[in-house]
Amino acid sequence: MSSPTEISAEVSANIAAMRVALPPGIEVDVASFDVDGDTPSLAVRPTTADEVASILRHATDHGIAVVPQGGRTALSLGRPLNRYELALDTTGLNAVIEYAPDDLTITVQAGVTLHSLQAVLGEHGQYLPVDPPPDDRITVGGLLATARSGAWRGHLPAARDLVLGVTVAMVDGALATSGGRVVKNVSGFDMHRLHTGALGALGVIVGASFKVAPQPASHHTTVLRCSSIAEAGTLARAIWDHNLTIRAITVLGHAAAEAIGLPSVSAILVEFAGIEEATTRSVGRVTELAQSSGARAESADDSLWTKLRALGEELPDSVLLRAGVPATSVAPLVEQAESQNFATWGHVAAGAVWMRSDEATASQITALRTTAEAAQGFLQIESAPRLVREQIDPFGETERELVRALKEQFDATGTLNPGRWMAGV
Amino acid sequence: MSTTEISPLVRDLRAALGSDRVLHAPEDLLTYEYDASIDRAVPDVVVLPTTTEQVADAVRIATEHGVPVVPRGSGTGFAGGALAVQGGVLVALTGMNQIREIDAENRTATVEPGLINLQLQEALAPLGLEYAPDPSSQRICTIGGNVGTNSGGPHTLAYGSTVNHILGMEVVLPGGRVTRFGGRQLDAAGIDLRGVFVGSEGTLGIVTAITVRLVRKHEVIRTMLAIFDTIDDASEAVSEVIRRRVVPMAMEMLDHETIRVVEPRVHAGYPLDAGAVLLIEIEGTAETVTHDTAVVVAACEAQLAREVRVAEKKSEREALWEGRKSAIGALGSTSPAIYLLDGVVPRTRLPDVLRQILDRSAAAGFRCANMFHAGDGNLHPTVLFDPSEEGATERVLELGGEIMQLCVEAGGSITGEHGVGVEKRSYMSWIFSESDLEAMGRVRIAFDPTGLFNPCKVLPTGHGCAQGHFPQLEKHLETSGVYV
Repeated sequence: MSSPTEISAEVSANIAAMRVALPPGIEVDVASFDVDGDTPSLAVRPTTADEVASILRHATDHGIAVVPQGGRTALSLGRPLNRYELALDTTGLNAVIEYAPDDLTITVQAGVTLHSLQAVLGEHGQYLPVDPPPDDRITVGGLLATARSGAWRGHLPAARDLVLGVTVAMVDGALATSGGRVVKNVSGFDMHRLHTGALGALGVIVGASFKVAPQPASHHTTVLRCSSIAEAGTLARAIWDHNLTIRAITVLGHAAAEAIGLPSVSAILVEFAGIEEATTRSVGRVTELAQSSGARAESADDSLWTKLRALGEELPDSVLLRAGVPATSVAPLVEQAESQNFATWGHVAAGAVWMRSDEATASQITALRTTAEAAQGFLQIESAPRLVREQIDPFGETERELVRALKEQFDATGTLNPGRWMAGV
Repeated sequence: MSTTEISPLVRDLRAALGSDRVLHAPEDLLTYEYDASIDRAVPDVVVLPTTTEQVADAVRIATEHGVPVVPRGSGTGFAGGALAVQGGVLVALTGMNQIREIDAENRTATVEPGLINLQLQEALAPLGLEYAPDPSSQRICTIGGNVGTNSGGPHTLAYGSTVNHILGMEVVLPGGRVTRFGGRQLDAAGIDLRGVFVGSEGTLGIVTAITVRLVRKHEVIRTMLAIFDTIDDASEAVSEVIRRRVVPMAMEMLDHETIRVVEPRVHAGYPLDAGAVLLIEIEGTAETVTHDTAVVVAACEAQLAREVRVAEKKSEREALWEGRKSAIGALGSTSPAIYLLDGVVPRTRLPDVLRQILDRSAAAGFRCANMFHAGDGNLHPTVLFDPSEEGATERVLELGGEIMQLCVEAGGSITGEHGVGVEKRSYMSWIFSESDLEAMGRVRIAFDPTGLFNPCKVLPTGHGCAQGHFPQLEKHLETSGVYV
């Protein structure tokens, strides 16, 4: 464990003043809240939205930098923080507020993990149809703040499509709600979509409502072994074009295949989900398509998906990249990344390519970004050591002026995640 | 033509866009003084750009002159979103109507904002692709307008509203700077500004190009008509279908009042003596459709459906939909005036809220027809009335407010797809607190510090905007009978 970060006497005095203002019993040990090797001066674990709002107001009054965190699965997504004094642990916000199975809607506090949420929904044969990496430890707040999606994206909606409304604690201590609990709603700005993917820089999500779905009656996984990435790419798109009962088509480079326990070959993982009769025929059809293109199809264990998601884990010395490219560019990018020793996998329908390497250099990352951008896409650093994120902008070319203006409006004094989006934001 | 003095604003706009792209004579402006809502407002100038640069020039010039900018598509909005309520420059985007690209392999299309929704669908059909959002006005509404209001439509039940289908946008921001949000992928990099822009009703900027997501047509489409003796049974059937774990592509309800008017005109095949019908569409692989159809039929029968008819031929399916999509027009032609509302309730509250709506309408002395997106709980009560009858207009508006209150009390919303515009600004405080609205206001300021973009829309505050008062509303209703 690293030692608490050096802080000035002024910050120290502010922390002391803040501590006095905290509700009793809310403070927790700072030891488990390192970010990029920095330990905060204070850590709190509120259990209500009002507590979060009050903490933010006091932090703003005292000039204290707050880093909200839930499942702690994506803390190195973004630029290194300028300051980090208070860890705001959201996992105490773990209540289900309202579940209406017949309306297919649920409202929960933001610290509820995806695991707990799926367990509650599962009792009624329902689920939130998302599979973000690395696993279901991710909290609802984290799911929204990072807008992460997995292999199902492209076949099923993502968090931004399923969120019906959120309540956000603002830095001035206000609680602001948007949307509602109904499945169709255009009243006012979709603030919930603004906060989705905003990495907690504009406010802290304390609760959210979602549209949920019935679980599919059956599912099945097939792995297709291919002779090359190019062949895998062509076959994967042919499968996508057939519009079968499928909820994931993922191209795997040989290193990624090996990392999840498959032989070291180029492969495609396909997940079928739906009623039994439909998945059975779909499996048959995909098997035929595979055979006619010289690939070998075999049934596989569902746990491969769990292992693949886990490859999206944030690890201290590893670089994890995500590119968004057109479907036709997925296989070429996987091939290029593989040649640079990245374990690489690409979700074809979403055009999302994930790349992991323990030895990535800045020039390799830049080259991959150039390729993605040339294909009218982007490359974002999902996780990397601090030094890499200081050298290379994690987000690439995106609209900056508006982000700065939004930050100015929502958090002018830089209480929340200072520096995570860009210098001063 | 009357001689109109050329203002410095008009002079600058003409210099930048060309004289033929700038309208300022009073008779030319009249076309742009209304949309499908009740109120009217005349802009000072209308510009007809065909390029992004021209839009940016117009916005820049308007900003320099300190006058409002109001974007407009086909003017089919029901909430007054396209009205220049404080005058200024109205930017009519119908001239930017090209399909820039269809990338079938990657399932995207890039279009200009003035393109008609149906024209995109027609271009995609031969490729076996669709753009999922299908508002009932798709024959005339524009994709840009759909982005502005985050439009829905019958298939929203399965596919979600417009926001779920917008991948990237080129936007002219207040002040005239051109930027891009998103790209050609489902997920974007950095803060995702697409989501908050879609549905902002022209208050945050003008979209000049839109990259949309396309979906492949399903293997099998089946359309069914479930016939019920009462609207209660039909509402219960909606919940019963969901309870049995099937979410159809669309679940639309038409009540007796609607059927009575629509059927003789459209011959859709709705029984005239039915209390209500549900139009249900299932899509997917053959097996899925067979399975889901059986579930839907059983669910409807369990809720006392008199009969469930399955459209066998394409023509039957089209007739069923024609009835639904032309319902508003048919209702409009049967009454001196109609008042179309848009509210949302949790779908399990449908039976109860519908009953109350019908009771309140009857108590107020009006016929009320209902044809709506039942699967989403998105109600469209349509009040039929005669504005020439003394006090009728007042009572209709009062009833409209009461119905919105019922939706709010049931845990719902004041609009599911038509937007807030000017019409519902005063209702915003029924569902949002001051803090909620203030947060929305912060977005507004971040995008548009001058507040010149589509002023007096969406948010219940704004410089010089009378709150919740529509001065021309009553007069207009009485004279034209045009529905909201």
